[in-house]
Amino acid sequence: MSIEIKNVVKRFGSFVALDDISLDIPTGELVALLGPSGCGKTTLLRIIAGMESADAGEVSFSGQEATHLHARDRNVGFVFQHYALFRHMTVFENVAFGLRVKAKKQRPAEAEIRKRVMDLLGLVQLDWLADRYPSQLSGGQRQRIALARALAVEPKVLLLDEPFGALDTKVRKELRRWLRRLHDEMHISSVFVTHDQEEALEVADRVVVMNHGRIEQIGSPDEVYSNPASPFVYQFLGNVNVFHNRLHGEWADVGSGAEADGKALSFVRPHDIDIEHAPVAGGLEAQVQDVHAIGPVVRVELLHGSELVEVELTRERADVLTLSNGQRVWLKPRQVKVFAAESPLEEAGSGI
Amino acid sequence: MKAHRANAEPRWVRLLLTGIALGFLGLFLGLPLIAVFIEALAAGVPAYLAALADSEARHAIMLTLLIALIVLPFNILFGVAAAWAIARFEFRGKSLLVTLIDLPFAVSPVVAGMLFILLFGARGLFGPWLSDHDFRIIFAVPGMVLATMFITFPFVARELIPLMQSQGKDEEEAAVSLGASGWQMFWRVTLPNIKWGLLYGVILANARAMGEFGAVSVVSGHIRGETNTLPLHVEILYNEYNAVGAFAAASVLALLALVTLVAKSIVEWRMQKETEMLEASLPPEKTE
Repeated sequence: MSIEIKNVVKRFGSFVALDDISLDIPTGELVALLGPSGCGKTTLLRIIAGMESADAGEVSFSGQEATHLHARDRNVGFVFQHYALFRHMTVFENVAFGLRVKAKKQRPAEAEIRKRVMDLLGLVQLDWLADRYPSQLSGGQRQRIALARALAVEPKVLLLDEPFGALDTKVRKELRRWLRRLHDEMHISSVFVTHDQEEALEVADRVVVMNHGRIEQIGSPDEVYSNPASPFVYQFLGNVNVFHNRLHGEWADVGSGAEADGKALSFVRPHDIDIEHAPVAGGLEAQVQDVHAIGPVVRVELLHGSELVEVELTRERADVLTLSNGQRVWLKPRQVKVFAAESPLEEAGSGI
Repeated sequence: MKAHRANAEPRWVRLLLTGIALGFLGLFLGLPLIAVFIEALAAGVPAYLAALADSEARHAIMLTLLIALIVLPFNILFGVAAAWAIARFEFRGKSLLVTLIDLPFAVSPVVAGMLFILLFGARGLFGPWLSDHDFRIIFAVPGMVLATMFITFPFVARELIPLMQSQGKDEEEAAVSLGASGWQMFWRVTLPNIKWGLLYGVILANARAMGEFGAVSVVSGHIRGETNTLPLHVEILYNEYNAVGAFAAASVLALLALVTLVAKSIVEWRMQKETEMLEASLPPEKTE
């Protein structure tokens, strides 16, 4: 089932949580709503689920208007950050809940419920926990049970609100991969909210980057990372060095064409900068401040004038360069993106 | 080696404080309780039983139970509704409602009783209309029920509001997204989660409903065999120098209090056990 969101607006008092949001989510896609806290992503998810009502705009499922449909009639599965398992019910009863509350005519027979629940528990690999209570499970187990419970009613859409936010890093990574597999097996549309860019980039088919109640960019993980549409997206997705054309004319002017006189900012990722010992054309002179080896990469902090520049090198490259503190070097960017100080501009292309 | 905590008081300070607390309890709570039973049994067990078997005494006991039975369902209904509204929704006048719920605690019970006289008494606001239609509220059971309801209605709500606020609405939203109707959500998710808190509030409300004197005294009219509850019956007998009768009735109230205390402790213990169970440390993630 596809989801279409048209011109949705939501205010809480004078705070604008969603400012005219339009978004299409095609059937079968796994979409991440990514943004800092307070950007409106959870509000948008809750409006899709029917737990919050929009002040203006429309939500439709597969082209059918659903704006005023009650949450219980939307047939969406919802997974909460803090699991929201029914604490007084066993794992089995939690998963069976959606089947047991069906109207008598549609309610499956007890044997059928038993089979469906055990199948789902098998799917999340926790059938051996059927008789436990939620309080006896670990966080990762609880979230998997919450997923099984949401899937029991065979929803056409699965909505997940920071599903891994309360888990520790190792469990989070496992569950991410597992969610991806599950989504592919179930043939449903899934939307999940996260503030973790790594999570969004790794799991999702498409990433919707949000800020201040607006959508900044929609695109594949690769698109939003390597071709950000705005300074915000650039800065939110990974580390970035920012240069001003007034200060670093040679770098920031390139590609800005007619705007060369105006204010422009150029963005360069730390791993898109190379370091040379000898002066190079268009290179920026800098002094090595600090060198840290972090796992597979070597992070170098340099001073250009009074400004800090961060560069990431591979270990091999760092071994060849053998940098030492205080050394004078030249920086050469492989890929630069220039934005006018306020609005995004054309891309600068690669190299100088 | 003995472990020293920074906040540990010397032994004699602890003993002294515990001694003062226990001595105070014994003097002001224990002794009177014992005195009630000694006085009640002063003329022997047969006289004690006779005093309780007296038709007016029996009527007072029945009326006390009747009022509690009528009042408690309303208390539960109002308490759950108010707690739900306050814990789950944002609306104008919410803080006013929270303050109003505490009003019966702040107002003297006698004033509460007077309030109902002003409203429903012969010369009250609705008095003429009521007497035209042959309804009796004041100096009759309905007035006593109203006064008791007024006095006891905060107990359940006050117990439930913090409980429901701390539990949040996630579970209820989960139930709705799984297709549950409002009733199904309430019976299957909300009620099981609040049942111990609700029971606790009901026990407290019940104790107060059976023991209420001031407000009920004002509206009852003290008609023997008709509008006397146990507390009022105790007062009447005592004023007539019928010590055995008064203390026999009082001993029933004291027994009710003891039962309440035991019930309260059991519920508290259960509640604590449930919270402990919920907060129990989690086992590490099992890897398969």
